[in-house]
Amino acid sequence: MEVSLLRYRPWRGKLHSPHKSVWTIARISLMMMFHRKIFWVMYSLGLFIFLMYFFGQYLLDWAETTTAETTISVGFIRTEPARFIEVLRNVLKFNGQPEMYRNFFWWQGSMVMIVLALAGSILVGNDFHFGSLPFYLSKPLGRWHYLGGKCLAVAVFVNLMTTIPAVILFLQVGFLKSWEYAVEGGYSLGSWTIAGEEWHLRLPNPLFFGILGYGLVLTVCLSLLLVATAGWLKRTVPMVMVWTTVFFFVRLLTAALVDGLQYHPRWRLFDMWNNTNLLGSALLQVNPYGPRPDWQPSVAEAAIVLGAVSVLCLTYLSHRIRAVEIVR
Amino acid sequence: MDLIDLQNVSRWFGDVRALRDVTLRLQPGSIGLLGPNGAGKSTLLKILLGLLPPSSGGGRVLGHDLTRGGFALRRAVGYMPEADSLIPGLRGADYVALSGELYGMPRRQAQRRAHEVLSYLELEDARYRRLEEYSTGMKQRIKLAQALVHDPALLLLDEPTSGLDPPGRAAMLQLLKTLGDEHGKSLILSTHLLGDVEQVCRTVVILHEGQVVSQGGVADLRQHRQDRYRLQIQGDAAAFLEELRLEGVTILDDNGRGDLRLAVPAGWVTRAFFLLADHHQVLLRGIQRDNEDLEELFHRVIEEENRHGS
Repeated sequence: MEVSLLRYRPWRGKLHSPHKSVWTIARISLMMMFHRKIFWVMYSLGLFIFLMYFFGQYLLDWAETTTAETTISVGFIRTEPARFIEVLRNVLKFNGQPEMYRNFFWWQGSMVMIVLALAGSILVGNDFHFGSLPFYLSKPLGRWHYLGGKCLAVAVFVNLMTTIPAVILFLQVGFLKSWEYAVEGGYSLGSWTIAGEEWHLRLPNPLFFGILGYGLVLTVCLSLLLVATAGWLKRTVPMVMVWTTVFFFVRLLTAALVDGLQYHPRWRLFDMWNNTNLLGSALLQVNPYGPRPDWQPSVAEAAIVLGAVSVLCLTYLSHRIRAVEIVR
Repeated sequence: MDLIDLQNVSRWFGDVRALRDVTLRLQPGSIGLLGPNGAGKSTLLKILLGLLPPSSGGGRVLGHDLTRGGFALRRAVGYMPEADSLIPGLRGADYVALSGELYGMPRRQAQRRAHEVLSYLELEDARYRRLEEYSTGMKQRIKLAQALVHDPALLLLDEPTSGLDPPGRAAMLQLLKTLGDEHGKSLILSTHLLGDVEQVCRTVVILHEGQVVSQGGVADLRQHRQDRYRLQIQGDAAAFLEELRLEGVTILDDNGRGDLRLAVPAGWVTRAFFLLADHHQVLLRGIQRDNEDLEELFHRVIEEENRHGS
């Protein structure tokens, strides 16, 4: 190796605060994930549910407008398509009501969990497995900046798959129905008369904030849980196994205990996915308990469990990162 | 301004005292930090990086307070870790630019600077390759690049020649020497390889059991080190050994079967063994340089310290 001395040039510039490193870490983590083809395959699969809702709504609306005045005969049965579409719309919940968003979050969230279990090692696990952590922590930033960056990366991903598509569905309903839908029931901030016309400034429909709230619940819980489990397990296969256990087998088990063996509904508190759904439904102002309220724990209990798990994850991560030897 | 000014720095881990009243005042330049495992080198580096506060005592690095300096201190220093600490999946240029951004550089400047530094370190052809495809030598150089990207005044280098083959080691040492001598970088080289320190550094600090047992110029250290030999002889050794003793040679080890370990005085030439062997009708079956290694030097330095103390 021959060193060319003339090419070394000093650098003089202003260094910014360590807080900006949070986004830098998140950006690099996302970039590494976006570089993998498997991610795009999974993301495309994940978007199928969104596309089903998006085009389902559009199709029903289109069918409603084109067949409004007609009747269809199938053999001896005569039916009005508008009524049939209405029934279909209500059964499928493609109606812009809070239940639609709850169902959407439920299905879309399931896809997110699968993708996250596969992406966890790329986003976080590799840093522990390949010893990249000293690289980050030897820089002028704290372990909370690192954690913040990683959680932000997961949060961006979770929101790309859940909250943002849900907001797009919300806007789509506004476009298809009427803009009144978007601001219906929204708090009025005031009204002004400009050039003889009265203008009202209103906050969006509370449903909009419910969507953001549900997204926030998923973001916080899944981010912390993913970063903690990826920091612990590091590799993809154990990650998938643990996430399958936590989100699928525990769900089956608690359902069998409560529904089958008539155990106390609090057993369902072990089902993290059910907890997020209870809290999210409450934020969307949908009855979170379904037709059998006595079979579910209360929303408050679910919120406490989610909060406790999040705090546990943070505590574990704090200890895990503190234990990393930057200088060996 | 002093590069490092430590006053009675101690660090405890439970009942274990990793550093004991370390007082150091070092001027800018190339400094070797020597010590066997458990000497307290890593703890001292952590304290110098502001990662660990001292349990007692205090000091400054480049004018930044050790306990309150924190981020400002780490911004002023470039750290090259011993472990790989690479990010698999990233390309070389991205890795160095990321380092620059984490040090606080604006993104575009970090990217531009990453290319400059990689060119300087002769990694321009490899900058778009993924880090996991790098050879050991390239990994060492890219670790240096990520420490150098924000042009710090002080580089903390932890075993920079670890795992390198002889040409790679020589090139790395030459590079460090150039950075120190021609680009005004201060270097702290933590290693257990005496040769690395001899080639690059002007000052050396020897740590043992958390204490500074010796500090001074590398030239002093060279004088301190003993030249040693291993001999295998056949024949009547008594007269031969007596003659060696008279010449100032110390017999360190004699197994009675002709295997000897000797410490020779300064200026000794190997040819003298052959002349004396010939003179005393002794057959020299084997001769091998066996210079004092660092651990032996430490022990001797400590013994001498103790002798002076008593």
